[in-house]
Amino acid sequence: MRNLKQKLPGFWFSLPSLVLTLIFSVYPIGWAMRYMFYDYKGYGTERFVGLDNFVRLLSDEAYWNSVVNTFVYAGGKLAITLPLSLILAVILNRGIRGKGFLRGVYFLPTIISASVMSVVFFTVFNSYNGVLNQLLVRYGIVERNVDWLGVDKAMLTVILIAAWGAIGNYMLLLIAGLQSIPDDIYESASLDGANAWQKFIYVTIPMLGPVLQMVIMLAIINSLKGYESIMVLTEGGPIGKTEVMFMYVYKLFFPISTSSNSMEQQLGYGSAVGFVTAIIVGVVTLFYFRLSKRLNQVH
Amino acid sequence: MTTKTIKLRQAKTSAVTSRSLVSMLTKVALWGFLVIMAVLILFPIVIAFLGSFKSNAELTAGSTFLPKVWHPSNYADVWKLANFSRYTWNSVFVSVFATAGTLLIASISAYAVDRMDFLGKKFYVGLQASTMFISIGAVVLRPQFELMVGLNLQTSLWAVIIILVSGHASTYFILVSFMRGIPRELDEAAMIDGCSRLWIYSRIVLPLLAPGLGVAGLFAFRHAWNEYILPLVFTMSQPNLQVLTVGLASLRYGISAASQTHYMMGGAVLSMLPMLVAYVVANKSFMQMTAGSIKG
Amino acid sequence: MKKSMAVSLGLVLSVGLTACSSNASNGSSTDQLSQSTGAGAQEKTKISYWTIDRHDSDYIKQVIDEFNATNTDNIEVEYVVKADDYAQALDLSFAANQAPDVFRVKEGTIQTYYKKGYMAPIDEYLTDAQKQEFMVMPNLNQFDGKMYSLPNYGSTMRLIYNKDLFDKAGIQNPPTSLAEMVEDAKLLTEAGKDIGAYGFALPFKSPNSAWDRSARVIAELSGYGGFGFDFKTAQYDFTGFKEIAKAFKQMYDDGSALPGMEALDIDPLRAQFAEGKIGMYMSYSSEPGVYKSQFPAKINWAAAPVPTIDGTVKGASGFLGGQWLAISANSDKKDAAWKFINYMYGDQILQDYHEQGYGISMVSQIIAKAKQPDINGIEGFLPNKDDGVWPIKPTVNVEGAGYQETFFKYMLQGGDLDKEVEDLNTRYNAAFAKAIETGDVEIEADPGFDPTKLGGAFAQ
Repeated sequence: MRNLKQKLPGFWFSLPSLVLTLIFSVYPIGWAMRYMFYDYKGYGTERFVGLDNFVRLLSDEAYWNSVVNTFVYAGGKLAITLPLSLILAVILNRGIRGKGFLRGVYFLPTIISASVMSVVFFTVFNSYNGVLNQLLVRYGIVERNVDWLGVDKAMLTVILIAAWGAIGNYMLLLIAGLQSIPDDIYESASLDGANAWQKFIYVTIPMLGPVLQMVIMLAIINSLKGYESIMVLTEGGPIGKTEVMFMYVYKLFFPISTSSNSMEQQLGYGSAVGFVTAIIVGVVTLFYFRLSKRLNQVH
Repeated sequence: MTTKTIKLRQAKTSAVTSRSLVSMLTKVALWGFLVIMAVLILFPIVIAFLGSFKSNAELTAGSTFLPKVWHPSNYADVWKLANFSRYTWNSVFVSVFATAGTLLIASISAYAVDRMDFLGKKFYVGLQASTMFISIGAVVLRPQFELMVGLNLQTSLWAVIIILVSGHASTYFILVSFMRGIPRELDEAAMIDGCSRLWIYSRIVLPLLAPGLGVAGLFAFRHAWNEYILPLVFTMSQPNLQVLTVGLASLRYGISAASQTHYMMGGAVLSMLPMLVAYVVANKSFMQMTAGSIKG
Repeated sequence: MKKSMAVSLGLVLSVGLTACSSNASNGSSTDQLSQSTGAGAQEKTKISYWTIDRHDSDYIKQVIDEFNATNTDNIEVEYVVKADDYAQALDLSFAANQAPDVFRVKEGTIQTYYKKGYMAPIDEYLTDAQKQEFMVMPNLNQFDGKMYSLPNYGSTMRLIYNKDLFDKAGIQNPPTSLAEMVEDAKLLTEAGKDIGAYGFALPFKSPNSAWDRSARVIAELSGYGGFGFDFKTAQYDFTGFKEIAKAFKQMYDDGSALPGMEALDIDPLRAQFAEGKIGMYMSYSSEPGVYKSQFPAKINWAAAPVPTIDGTVKGASGFLGGQWLAISANSDKKDAAWKFINYMYGDQILQDYHEQGYGISMVSQIIAKAKQPDINGIEGFLPNKDDGVWPIKPTVNVEGAGYQETFFKYMLQGGDLDKEVEDLNTRYNAAFAKAIETGDVEIEADPGFDPTKLGGAFAQ
């Protein structure tokens, strides 16, 4: 009894947090897990359809296309973001002039809303009177306007925009990691006659290991989940070229109608897609966990 | 002096010059890289800033870098005509209360988790961790919306605030890591004096947690201020409740939008501005926050 | 900043906290929410009106202001113009129990709204004179014998072209067949090279929006259902879109289409057209209003019937309308809402609406006395012998990509068009069969259906 009494205050303290989490994070997942077995348009009757939604999902090319796109998007974002943020971190970790200022500049994008920046980026990238095309054409770098948001380049464009917003964040995390590497390791490496490059490869990278792994982890999750800027910029178009998984889910719940055509919500199918998407993200995360664990054992 | 020593000396000097040449080149490359990165990063922000002072025709034609004539009146127009005064107020309202609520809820549970043993603690911590990783995307919005209709809160911004507060897991983890740095002796002493847990939390722990609260608060504020999809869905049918991010994006479809790029740029700058000011003032905390989250 | 935040938090917390040693767990929740928020005597009956129509907003605002100032029932109308998010916003507003009292319905949406139960029947309010004046159109304003809206104006669909650029390219007349359209687009692009103009454009950011204002009407005028539905057999058949998709693709491949139209909304497209950067596109008869107020056109432009597939008219160009305002089923101020609607459907307003060129009246009493609309560009939009009202196609939830998206994809990337059409037919008919099975849709084959007979009823 006394034991219980001691245990109660902590319970009360965490209760508000627990209740909010249960209501607004856990309950919706339960809701989705129920409706994924239903055909429900948000009005009228809901019909139990068993596994129909999942059968449909298996042959839903548009969805699997969005899955592939998500990995292209995430992979592209990582491929640009990680090397650049690592290089910036290494440079700015050294005592060069103005490093505080530069850090501030590179970090700046991370405080600005992705949706707001996407509105700005639209005026930069749009093909017919975008700032970028005007510059490129005026200085003769290209002859004709480049279709930055067209079929071929839209994905590249959204990746560049995503990288723009993310580099500063990971740079800073990596700087923090670098600062935790003791100086004497570098000193002893210098005594052994290692040059800067060797020090980077044999000291910095291994010592940065855990931080780097965490940064990659964060980067993977963020890039699999993020779709705000895509939503503002392309809504997944053209012809699904920038459609990512969560954008696809959003559209099933909040279909983008036109004036002449009212689209219907597909809450049941959307729940199934959301559920499967969560599993895909979860599997990738777990896979990465395993991989980094194994890497740790090797080192 | 023999020819031998002279040769040796020459060899030495040339080695020195070539080495300094290499280091010069490295330096140039290094700075070149830093400057190019800085330009690329700043480019869209500068475009937005300069664009917000141009006339619409000038923006559409896009022939200039600096405005031919500066039009500060754009801001007055955006503020009044495009309803940005309303959006700004809504954004401030949402962000302030969401931040305060998040800090309150997260700090008190962080205190409990760090200092006490309680019923279902393991479950609670596991739950918080898993909400950070599990995401079913926009699916949650529908049940959340229905819940708010049930609570009759769908007509107010409190719905958005409560949902923002409910997503406090990352704040909680940051605060737990800061909480660990506060010596336990203090609250143990107060316990012996017979102070209640709540008293200790509010009078001892919270003030000591101030740096952590500041950092996590900035984090939470940034999140609330920049959130787009949640307020979009909740205020789609209520334009007078819309926040800056939503109002700005909807300018693209506004009554006579699209042609009014100058308003869009003005609106974009307006919605960045408070964060920029906070950033300049609390630059260190921002950096600390990001660096700090590494430990959490 | 940090300090003040912590201090204020502390303040919040210290409310209701007792000092040391006393029992802290008194759990006094001070939940005294101030309920008394200005519940004074309601003077005005406030109702809200939502619309997606933007081309007429100046005029409607003025009309509503007048109603607010002059009505004797103390009704105040809040006028809300929504853009592309209209349908979504309306759905959410009904989900949130705060739908507008009066809202705009269109021929493409009224059926869905009826199924969702959004609208209240208005029969009890209608006077005999009104029953006389406004045409009953089943599935367009009448469902299961009850009226839900009344016609005001209709929209025709036309090819809108830049006369200056046509002159410059030496083209006499707007194209009447797909082949001509492709050829003209090429010539226009050639002629517009020095000013960066292109022959053709459509707002393909939303393929549906682009397709439903262009290919749809080309198909209709050529005798095919504009949404791929064959009313004769009551089956989906997208064969009619084949040639159109090929023509669009040809223009795209030729480089005669505005670069970037893949990411274009209709408004930016109009802005570009007003600047003279586009040779031709297809859209509704709201365009004259748009180029009068929203995007003042810097060029001479006109509207002409859309081309047909092979140059001969075998059907009717859709005349869209039959409904305008509806009352929300959830409104608790239906009487006030009707008073507002009644005012809006007054002869003078309908006549002004027509004469000022915001839309082409569908009310014969108005057509009889109204003058020709006075707005640049409207001439080409007035209904002729080939404009007619098509029956409503069933709404189905198809699995996989919609046909607009599919044809757009073909346009950009090519592929086996026959196979795509076959696949579309299969998928749409499967969804259609399912919708019939669940009772969502009821429609029967009409073997005697003849699209050539649809035209002419509203010719002016």
